[in-house]
Amino acid sequence: MMTADVIVIGAGIIGSASAYYLAKKGLKVIVLEKSDIIGNGGSSRNGGGVRQSGRDPREIPIAMYGIKNLWPHLSEELGYDVEYHQDGNLRLGKTPKHLETLKKLADKASAVGLDVRMIDADEVKEINPYLSDEVIGASWCPTDGHANPLKATLAYYMAARKLGVTFITGQDVTEIKKIRGKARAVVTQDDVYEGDSIVLAAGFASRKIAGTIGIDIPMISKLIECLVTEAEPPMFNQMLGTAEADFYGHQTNHGSFVFGGSTGFEMYKKDNGTPVNYSDTVPCICRGIIRYVPQLRDAKIVRSWAGWSDNMSDGVPIIDKVDEVPGLILACGFTGHGFGIAPGVGTVISQLVTDEDPVCDISGLRYDRFYAKDVAAGKAV
Amino acid sequence: MKIERFDLIVVGAGPSGLSAAIEAAKHGMKVVVFDENARPGGQLFKQIHKFFGSKEHKAKIRGFHIGEQLLKEADDAGVKVELNATVAGLYQDREVVVRMGDEVHHFKGDAIIIATGAAENMVLFDGWTLPGVMGAGAAQTLMNLYGVKPGERILMLGSGNVGLVVSYQLLQAGCQVVALVDAAPKIGGYGVHAAKVARTGVPFYLSHTIKKAEGTDHVTGVTIAEVDNHFQFIPGTDKHFDVDTICVAVGLSPMSQLLKMAGCKMEDNPKRGGQVPIIGEYGETSVPGIFSAGDVSGIEEASSAMIEGRMSGAVAAEYLGYITKEEKEEILAKLKASLGSLREGMFAPKNRGKDIKETEEGIPISTNLLHKGYVLDSEIERFPGVTHKKGVHPVIECTQNIPCNPCQDACTRHCIKIGSHITALPAVDETADCINCGMCVASCPGQAIFLVNEDAGDRKAEITLPYEFLPLPETGMKGTALGRDGQPLCDAEVTRVRSSKAFDGTNLLTISVPAEFAMKARFFKAAAQA
Amino acid sequence: MNELSNRSRDIGEFIPQPDDDMIVCRCEEVTKGEIRKAVHEGLWTIAEIRRYLRCGMGLCQGQTCAKLVKGIVARELKVSPALLEPATSRSPMRPVEMHVFAKETEDTDL
Repeated sequence: MMTADVIVIGAGIIGSASAYYLAKKGLKVIVLEKSDIIGNGGSSRNGGGVRQSGRDPREIPIAMYGIKNLWPHLSEELGYDVEYHQDGNLRLGKTPKHLETLKKLADKASAVGLDVRMIDADEVKEINPYLSDEVIGASWCPTDGHANPLKATLAYYMAARKLGVTFITGQDVTEIKKIRGKARAVVTQDDVYEGDSIVLAAGFASRKIAGTIGIDIPMISKLIECLVTEAEPPMFNQMLGTAEADFYGHQTNHGSFVFGGSTGFEMYKKDNGTPVNYSDTVPCICRGIIRYVPQLRDAKIVRSWAGWSDNMSDGVPIIDKVDEVPGLILACGFTGHGFGIAPGVGTVISQLVTDEDPVCDISGLRYDRFYAKDVAAGKAV
Repeated sequence: MKIERFDLIVVGAGPSGLSAAIEAAKHGMKVVVFDENARPGGQLFKQIHKFFGSKEHKAKIRGFHIGEQLLKEADDAGVKVELNATVAGLYQDREVVVRMGDEVHHFKGDAIIIATGAAENMVLFDGWTLPGVMGAGAAQTLMNLYGVKPGERILMLGSGNVGLVVSYQLLQAGCQVVALVDAAPKIGGYGVHAAKVARTGVPFYLSHTIKKAEGTDHVTGVTIAEVDNHFQFIPGTDKHFDVDTICVAVGLSPMSQLLKMAGCKMEDNPKRGGQVPIIGEYGETSVPGIFSAGDVSGIEEASSAMIEGRMSGAVAAEYLGYITKEEKEEILAKLKASLGSLREGMFAPKNRGKDIKETEEGIPISTNLLHKGYVLDSEIERFPGVTHKKGVHPVIECTQNIPCNPCQDACTRHCIKIGSHITALPAVDETADCINCGMCVASCPGQAIFLVNEDAGDRKAEITLPYEFLPLPETGMKGTALGRDGQPLCDAEVTRVRSSKAFDGTNLLTISVPAEFAMKARFFKAAAQA
Repeated sequence: MNELSNRSRDIGEFIPQPDDDMIVCRCEEVTKGEIRKAVHEGLWTIAEIRRYLRCGMGLCQGQTCAKLVKGIVARELKVSPALLEPATSRSPMRPVEMHVFAKETEDTDL
């Protein structure tokens, strides 16, 4: 048996960032990872967006906090280049209906204080001359950006490891156990680990693990698929997306483009044990890209990948202490957009562990926010 | 999106893939073969040498001819071969996405056989990324498929069969091979392949490896040095060669990515060459309906790959109900016996890494052959193919147990005996009379048979040797006889040159040398070349 | 649990070697020294090394360097190369242009 102040379950970017900030506070941390590989889930399988726009207002505060306070200095802080760029996010539209959709999103975000606005075709072209003439407008959030999720995840891991955090891979957590009324023991197939606090940041697997201590997290897993091109000459630094979510992505420091997108069947894809690409997704993403960035039609795709995201019933994560299970803190259900807020989440988790007030408002991300609809009373979820 | 369905999709039109497709199509299956290359046949069409084995393995036939035979057979069986068709991925539900021209196409197979072969390994040394450093297989492709000399002065790293065969072919293409180098203490490939290179004068450096490839924008030289038992360089053993090309033949790795992508259980197996699928006896992977055949599941010779292909084709045919279990068992029993015989002998997969000191007959193996590439004059007499007799008689310098027996069938006079055990060393029956027809010389894929008349009169001996170089010497031409070590021995004169369709490209050169060199002279260099 | 599980296991200090500047992955120009250093930073799997350094992520997708990288990482960790899981195989097996991948049927108009 190994003991520590905090046991973190999951060595993705959320778990690793939490461990890093906890270790910075002087706490002894053990991180348990089911895979043999650090950051092998959604942390390494996402489009790298570091954005505030397009988010549910409940998670905008934590997104804004990270972008204002953490991302700009993150490479310096961790000692590894995470390839952060803050060159804005363009969400593109080709039809008046698209613009309507985008405007609704932008208005919601503006209401909570985010600088996001609608721009016309000329302004779009000025920002990104490579876009198709069919683009008639876009929403524009200049403070959004992107980073390298592979590097950022590993950077948190390496920096935490340097601060003395113990990472143990290949540890499949089978149970969280209460001892004298507090969540304390984490049981794996190999060992038992004990800590004063337990942070559950295991992506979709969090549901099963939380279930062992009587907590249900209403989420499903959804397949995310991306493609990667060979290195192209530098073209643009904005993060791109569209009103219809045909595709999203950006150009990396290396020159390659990473683009994700959807076929419309994401919710219904087979889980055969490991995330694998579907044969129809990459072609579908390609068609989306070519219609918005025609010049990329000859770019060669060298790789595609797939990953499971942990999608909450209401689209935002749980970042909270569980009242009825003292010692248990949840950080899961990021619904495919956890990467960009990971530094903020790690910071907040470290504060929840030490009973400090969170640096930003996470009140909309409580674990007990789910109530069945009440038709008679006309209330929804 | 349209999905076209076949009974069987084969990926790779090399020896194993084509064999699998032929076997399946013969039983009435609708089969398509995809290959990314412009020509089918995989590596067969660059194999200009004669293959080992027995008749059923197409022994003594040159690789590219085997390729032609396979293509015809595939055509006759109604196999559809799609060329320039690059398989992009193998997805769930046995779906294959293929790039053809400027489009991708979706196919599904009720069975899928992956026969994607292998790729060449690389080894790290200072300057390994310089132009002029290339895989031996790449050099072979350049010269034998495209008619391009890979370079003028070449150093070969690797003494396995690929390194040996390609060295010989480089010599045939008119390149100079300055040295054949291997970090291992012993030659890895067949002794006969080494001997035919050594007798032309190429020096072997075992327990040596490359220290540095020199040059700024292209290879201009190479330094090798000796290594100790831990493969560390021994100071003061550097040797420099001026070369423009370095060929690397350090093994092959299975290209098993499609199988891994499809979720087949894999293992890391150095004996099979790297990451390979875990398979049943006939190529069945852990995913129902997906099979593998050939090098993709373990590096072996093309002859084995063809049999493996037939096996997986037969298994696929039974899987889909095109033949009964009994019919399948009958086919497999025959193929198994055939494959079994190929997997016998000193170089059998089961003997990899073993230090074999004696032949199956209990004869000590020539240590010089293993270290220098040739059998010493003092060692050669102990082998059963080397006998003495008045008049012309065959001398068979075949000294390792390899699965090969064409010489036995080639001799209509029954001078040569191997017996039913295919790896036995050929023995010369001194009581049978040689008629000097030369068929044995031409039939030996190892070019290890010579016809010797130890007393041709006038204190001369006559030696008939296999010769596969151009220009072909003419009768009366004078030159130098070289020993097995490639060193000049004595003056020699060409007394007869024989070429025949039955010899299939191997010319028979008869040279006259002083009688005392009868058992020593094994190669001829014309005067201008000497 | 194996020798790679506890990432705090002591594998010794990074000791510079004379051939550290030798390129191992030629597509992405990754050197032996960078790979060895990454191991000492805690990257103990082929996947992590690839994701951090990009070796094996270029046009050839590791066909040439995968075995070489594996050997270097295994030596640095003092484990058998067989313990190191090779990288995931990903479609497409060969680079494919976007407009080709986009065109699945003759009536796709791009």
